[in-house]
Amino acid sequence: MPKRTDIKSILIIGSGPIVIGQACEFDYSGAQACKALKAEGYKVILVNSNPATIMTDPEMADRTYIEPIIPEFVEKIIEKERPDAVLPTLGGQTALNCAFQLAEMGVFKKYNVEMIGANAEVIKKAEDRELFKKAMQKIGLDLPKSKRAHSLKEAKQVAKEIGFPLIIRPSFTLGGTGGGAAFNIQEFETIVERGLEASMLSEVLIEESVAGWKEFEMEVMRDLADNVVIICSIENFDPMGVHTGDSITVAPAQTLTDKEFQLMRDASIAVIREIGVDTGGSNIQFAVHPDTGRMVIIEMNPRVSRSSALASKATGFPIAKIAAKLAVGYTLDEIPNDITQVTPASFEPTIDYCVVKIPRFTFEKFPGADQTLTISMKSVGETMAIGRTFKEALQKGLRGLEISAAGFDDLKFKPTVAELNNKLKYPCAERIFYLKYAIKSGMSINKIYDITKIDKWFLNNLKEIIEVESFIKKNKKKILKNPSIMRKAKENGFSDIQIARLIGSDEVSVYSAREKMGLKVSFKLVDTCAAEFPAFTPYYYSTYELEDECRA
Amino acid sequence: MIPHKKKIIVLGGGPNRIGQGIEFDYCCCHASYAIKEEGYEAIMVNSNPETVSTDFDTSDRLYFEPLTREDVLHIVEAEKPAGVIVQFGGQTPLNLAKQLEDASVPIIGTSVKSIDRAEDRKLFKAILKKAKLNQPQNGIAKSTAEAIKIAKKIGYPVIVRPSYVLGGRAMRIVYDEIDLDEYMKKAVIASPEKPILIDKFLDDAIEVDVDCVSDGKKTVICGIMEHIEEAGIHSGDSACVLPTFSLSKSMLDEIRSATNSLAKELKVIGLMNIQYAVKNSVLYVLEVNPRASRTVPFVSKATGVQWAKIATKAMLGKTLQELGVEKEIIPGYFAVKEAVFPFSRFPGVDPVLGPEMKSTGEVMGIDKDLGMAYMKAQIAAGQKLPMEGKIFISVNDRDKRTIVGLAKRLASLGYVVVSTPGTADILKKNGLEVIPVAKIGEGSPDILDLIKNLEVKMVINTPGDKKTKFDETKIRSGAIMHMVPIITTISGARATVSGLEAARKKGFNVCSLQEYHE
Repeated sequence: MPKRTDIKSILIIGSGPIVIGQACEFDYSGAQACKALKAEGYKVILVNSNPATIMTDPEMADRTYIEPIIPEFVEKIIEKERPDAVLPTLGGQTALNCAFQLAEMGVFKKYNVEMIGANAEVIKKAEDRELFKKAMQKIGLDLPKSKRAHSLKEAKQVAKEIGFPLIIRPSFTLGGTGGGAAFNIQEFETIVERGLEASMLSEVLIEESVAGWKEFEMEVMRDLADNVVIICSIENFDPMGVHTGDSITVAPAQTLTDKEFQLMRDASIAVIREIGVDTGGSNIQFAVHPDTGRMVIIEMNPRVSRSSALASKATGFPIAKIAAKLAVGYTLDEIPNDITQVTPASFEPTIDYCVVKIPRFTFEKFPGADQTLTISMKSVGETMAIGRTFKEALQKGLRGLEISAAGFDDLKFKPTVAELNNKLKYPCAERIFYLKYAIKSGMSINKIYDITKIDKWFLNNLKEIIEVESFIKKNKKKILKNPSIMRKAKENGFSDIQIARLIGSDEVSVYSAREKMGLKVSFKLVDTCAAEFPAFTPYYYSTYELEDECRA
Repeated sequence: MIPHKKKIIVLGGGPNRIGQGIEFDYCCCHASYAIKEEGYEAIMVNSNPETVSTDFDTSDRLYFEPLTREDVLHIVEAEKPAGVIVQFGGQTPLNLAKQLEDASVPIIGTSVKSIDRAEDRKLFKAILKKAKLNQPQNGIAKSTAEAIKIAKKIGYPVIVRPSYVLGGRAMRIVYDEIDLDEYMKKAVIASPEKPILIDKFLDDAIEVDVDCVSDGKKTVICGIMEHIEEAGIHSGDSACVLPTFSLSKSMLDEIRSATNSLAKELKVIGLMNIQYAVKNSVLYVLEVNPRASRTVPFVSKATGVQWAKIATKAMLGKTLQELGVEKEIIPGYFAVKEAVFPFSRFPGVDPVLGPEMKSTGEVMGIDKDLGMAYMKAQIAAGQKLPMEGKIFISVNDRDKRTIVGLAKRLASLGYVVVSTPGTADILKKNGLEVIPVAKIGEGSPDILDLIKNLEVKMVINTPGDKKTKFDETKIRSGAIMHMVPIITTISGARATVSGLEAARKKGFNVCSLQEYHE
């Protein structure tokens, strides 16, 4: 299908200020959409109150409004500019909520503006817990047991029916504000009261707790011809109970069997079709019971999200750009992939490396804040690292986090047994380093798994890094002269600083020793297709292999 | 093979954190665009997947790598660039600059030496002396006794902070010796290796932020911003206005000439940010950062000039004259930048502002009228400012004089003022009708109940002393949890009242940047 010619001007709603749960990933997606739609010849009108964004550069849109993103102001912009369509799916929850309110107020109808990407009905079906539940049941997908409540009294009744522990989620909020897990009635009452206030609809959903289950996300896209592609699967290192934004996440998923993966794929496709996102990307979250394998669907975002930014960067597939083009009528097979220039966007990306994202916290700025990680997001940033293995990517990610860790480092102090158990059980920003301490102090993988529910595959990988650490220590005297020992260290992601610390040397000496022995880093391409086709606008990650794909 | 163009590497800012966010992504993107426009190959290094700088078409080549010495040197070796840019990615690349230069990496723009000179207290003092500029009185203490001696000499209040941390961490304003003693005992242990920096705190001073660009010879001011909150609140957390609204022409000229001489002295090529304070018509230099600052995108949007791009081109050898950048642009409208805070994520944490930065983001309000621009910024920041109803006012003794006038203006707009006994007495004495409300736990309903029941629509509460802190924290965090707008500084209150007046009088209008810049 060619692009639509019945619409000439499109209003894009941005995401406003950077807050926890909504950061510059929406500048990334919005900027891509502005560029794509402008290139297609549409008049682009943009509203975003955040001046620090690239998307509010005057040349990105034809009309740029740095005004508050609330219905009253956006209505004034619509009244003045009279756009033919509004694209609300690229500005996070802020844009989606604002558009939904405008639709409810009848503003779009009054000015004859069409919602493209996702209409009010789709937004409601994905965001309204009760409608979502019905939709999922209709296509035969399992969900955690749940019921909604509009008052504390109603909520207490629900708690009795389902039983503790329970998760409380306010409807229509951003990043889970006001939500939480309750293990008893006191905690329950506090969270429900807070949640009812935080919700735009004074509504909370009370849910069977799936804390400790394995957590996955699928990034999915659909076009008007009903083609659906899976862009990327993401697995959370931290199991259910920690907000995805606060979890270490890994792409592609590492611990699913092929059968499980295919089931999740099929379910994702069924979800996007049932919710009715005609064009664009969606993010779908699943939980899988580690023992029974029971798979439940947690939620679906009918819009571009933090995870889709990550999926785009992890695969090279520009989800927001493609979503904008789908919204104006193109189909996936008509849009060329910019990186290969020969494959179309209907070609699912292939990954021949491992991507690890690690969140960054700043609790030191907020003395007295509860530092436990929960389903309400608390991190303020993230870093992503690419390697050939999970081990390499994790270590690169940790040193890229700039928290003065050179990789998978040791804790700087010795915790007591009680403290250690506590830190393993209640997730915190430094849990990864406590895991190292636990393994090194001889706690078994099974025991750690019982406490943390972190998949044993991940725990065993951590253990392997620690084994390489001992190997380096043992070869203290040889490593600076022996390329094969050095290579093993580097392949497992050890930084020069880490190696220097282990052998009692310094960073500069390790670097020059590597130079002298001719052990060079090799750069590999992120090309969406695992090198099946040549790449034109490539990007690189470093690793230690013999073949270098860099064309510097 | 087509012969390669010369390459320039831009080092990004890594993961976002408080104090280093999207502003630096913005600057890095513009650096890349400028490099391409000048006919070079742009190479980006960054590890933050949320950014535009890591979009595949922002640069010619992208390296998704950690920003460490080792990883950056590998890329430099593979690419052999003609230059590496470190001044756009915030503190992250600056921390690497020295190590990279030691490894013979060609850093372009302002020299690493100049950047160090601005950060080293002794060298910086010498620069200011040479340029005949004032600095608040200050000293370095290696023990508690020494700290007390210095503070006595320069006079309270003073700002204290450890010398070895960045970004205002553990920075505090102390008003007396007891406070200082407590700070020294509790917060930090001063030692010869880790001394404490002590500065005279200029209370009630006006703080001013200046961004400028220089090609090494000529310097042009990008924007002079006046802060709404008085000095003492971290510049990243206070609202600011471009152009200035209360400074005299002679003071502005003094600021311009000071900026010029500092740029010259530090041999700036690229961007520089200076923080000034003005007290009793005397100009003080608080801080100089010879690199891109957090305010660059705001100033660019307000003036319609892409300053990070201009700076990059200057670093590549173009003169400002060749770039057509001749003089400061003073817009004929007001742009207000307001900070946005994550307090609602941290229940129970006191949402009060201070010298340590706490905001995660920012918004801009723009209008011909200053009050309206301020209102728009407040609304965009999520403050649901009420058009009618009850407003709770409780301020510390220092602010009591100012609050009388503001309360009167609120009353004449039809708002009902609610206060706890102390503030209520003062307001009543000045002929204002006030509804009294009990302090926390001293009656029912108390002020916290009114907040919880959403009976008060806005809270003005400035922090007092330690005695009242416990109640105040509850009031302020209660307001945050119940989404009641809260103002914690008297200057913020003043601006809000003007904004409410303007909004009442005229109603809101929307206008695009393209129309403003025409």
